[in-house]
Amino acid sequence: MVKTLVFGQVREDIIEENTLGVLNKLTEISGISEVIVALFGHQIKDEWISELGKHGASRVVSVKAPELEVYLSRPYVKAMLEVIEKTEPKLVIAAGTVYGEDLIPRLAVHHGVSCAQRINDITIVGDELHFHTPVRDDQAMKVTRIEGAIKFATSRSGAFFVNENPTGGSPNVESFDVSFSEEDMLVKHIEIKKAERTVNLKDAKVIVAGGRGVGGKEQFQIIRELAEILGGEIGATRACTDVHWIEETYEIGQTGQSVSPDIYIAAGISGAPQHVSGIKAKTLIAINTDEGAAIFNFADYGIVGDLHVILPILKQKLQG
Amino acid sequence: MKIIVFIEQIVSTQVKLKGVDYFDSSRVSEDDLVINPSSKNALEGALKLKDQLGAEVTAVCVRGLKPNKALREAIAMGCTDAIEIADETIYTDDPLLLAKIYVETLGQIGEFDLVFLGVEEQSTGSYAIGAMLSEKLGLPSVLYAEEIEVIDSGYKVGHVLEGGRKIVAMPSKGVISCSDSQYFTPRYTSMRGILTAKRAEIPKWTAADLGLSSSVVGKEAASLIEVSFSNIVLEKESYIIKEGEPEEKVENLLAKLKEDEIKLGA
Repeated sequence: MVKTLVFGQVREDIIEENTLGVLNKLTEISGISEVIVALFGHQIKDEWISELGKHGASRVVSVKAPELEVYLSRPYVKAMLEVIEKTEPKLVIAAGTVYGEDLIPRLAVHHGVSCAQRINDITIVGDELHFHTPVRDDQAMKVTRIEGAIKFATSRSGAFFVNENPTGGSPNVESFDVSFSEEDMLVKHIEIKKAERTVNLKDAKVIVAGGRGVGGKEQFQIIRELAEILGGEIGATRACTDVHWIEETYEIGQTGQSVSPDIYIAAGISGAPQHVSGIKAKTLIAINTDEGAAIFNFADYGIVGDLHVILPILKQKLQG
Repeated sequence: MKIIVFIEQIVSTQVKLKGVDYFDSSRVSEDDLVINPSSKNALEGALKLKDQLGAEVTAVCVRGLKPNKALREAIAMGCTDAIEIADETIYTDDPLLLAKIYVETLGQIGEFDLVFLGVEEQSTGSYAIGAMLSEKLGLPSVLYAEEIEVIDSGYKVGHVLEGGRKIVAMPSKGVISCSDSQYFTPRYTSMRGILTAKRAEIPKWTAADLGLSSSVVGKEAASLIEVSFSNIVLEKESYIIKEGEPEEKVENLLAKLKEDEIKLGA
């Protein structure tokens, strides 16, 4: 039986949804004996613990310290290594956020082993844990196992669904102290610049989204016009918001908003996992000049062609 | 000031090989081999500091079928020099082994200030190497960097974060992995750079030169073991329109959506 330790992550004052997805996944796997969550911060809120319990955590181990207010590699690695020592898990897993991807490989190094990353499934075969990772734009599946007493892994963003009606109970809670030195705080937090989220794309039924292929700020106009005709919203990849072609509130994907529209039109979007992981559309329509673009692997319908030619025609036909 | 950039050579994603075939080296030619775009972001990060602070930038390539080609391009972009690590006994599909090789390479190079890497090792889909390397070196690091500003105590680095960007300060010695941001958009090679690259002597180091045996960095030392590798069979049928004039393609799409009773509007 596999005792599992999950790195508990909080985003915008609630438990981060991919962490809840990981918990739900673990509860589905027979062979996982106990799910422990490590929760760090300056303050630990009761509602976070309760939420973790509902989604399957049987035990929450918390470490409170001012040094843990914001994720920084060294103090978090130190705290997590102590939790591992105290809880003796066989599997340590984190949702594959920026923090999760930073933490897990470091913990693995301290245990002299490698780690599996961005997995979208875990299976138990005999006594072995198998980690499933989609690679090459989701065209191939690599299954790996890890040597060593403790296995380390991160999940792929959006890989595991969050149970909307979780039925778990109240977890046992324990807390302990970890002390930090100046050496642990060599990288110093300055500030977090939150992306402005003035538009909520979560409930949008239709989204017309643009990627690098749009080519510039002015060229986004056709995306806006088509979205308006369809009564939908616009969206974009991080590549577009980073260069300010469009406001960052419209970013969709791992570091932006997660969306689940009926129709998602992806124009000039290559289909990088970081973007696609944020989309759960009933129908995805892709328009891209590159026939080999990964987005066509995810698309239900598609046109191989230049969006600047195709979208104006589509707009005209829809208006006509 | 000395900066080391670890780069990776990959098969271009423009090569139309599907699934597992993409990883079959017998199917690709030298023309298909390019520097991993993520490694190019790292080269740009280092070269920006070279422009600003006069740093010496050394590119190192361990992963790739023809690392020499990638390294000449790195020099053509502006790197001062380059080192090729080539040895058939080295197994680089396990990020921990790759980190070990990088650590020994740095030991052999001697003094350095910063290490730059791309965020992703594309040929393995691994994002672990930056974190593993900094942990093994015991150096501070910032991963998923989006921009770097030189400050008195070292660097102010903005990095990718879900829902925004985080700004941290790091000391002048450390590890930085670079993301695909506007700041790290790679420069083109210059004519002068190409000529310099042509003439450059690129030393080739083996595992033995680094004091490493295959029991330490060979396949038998791997802790991440491949159980299987197979193509993903898509369950859904995609309707992708490739042929015809643009207008025909749009009409074709709209007709198919109608046939499938898919309503395009909200």
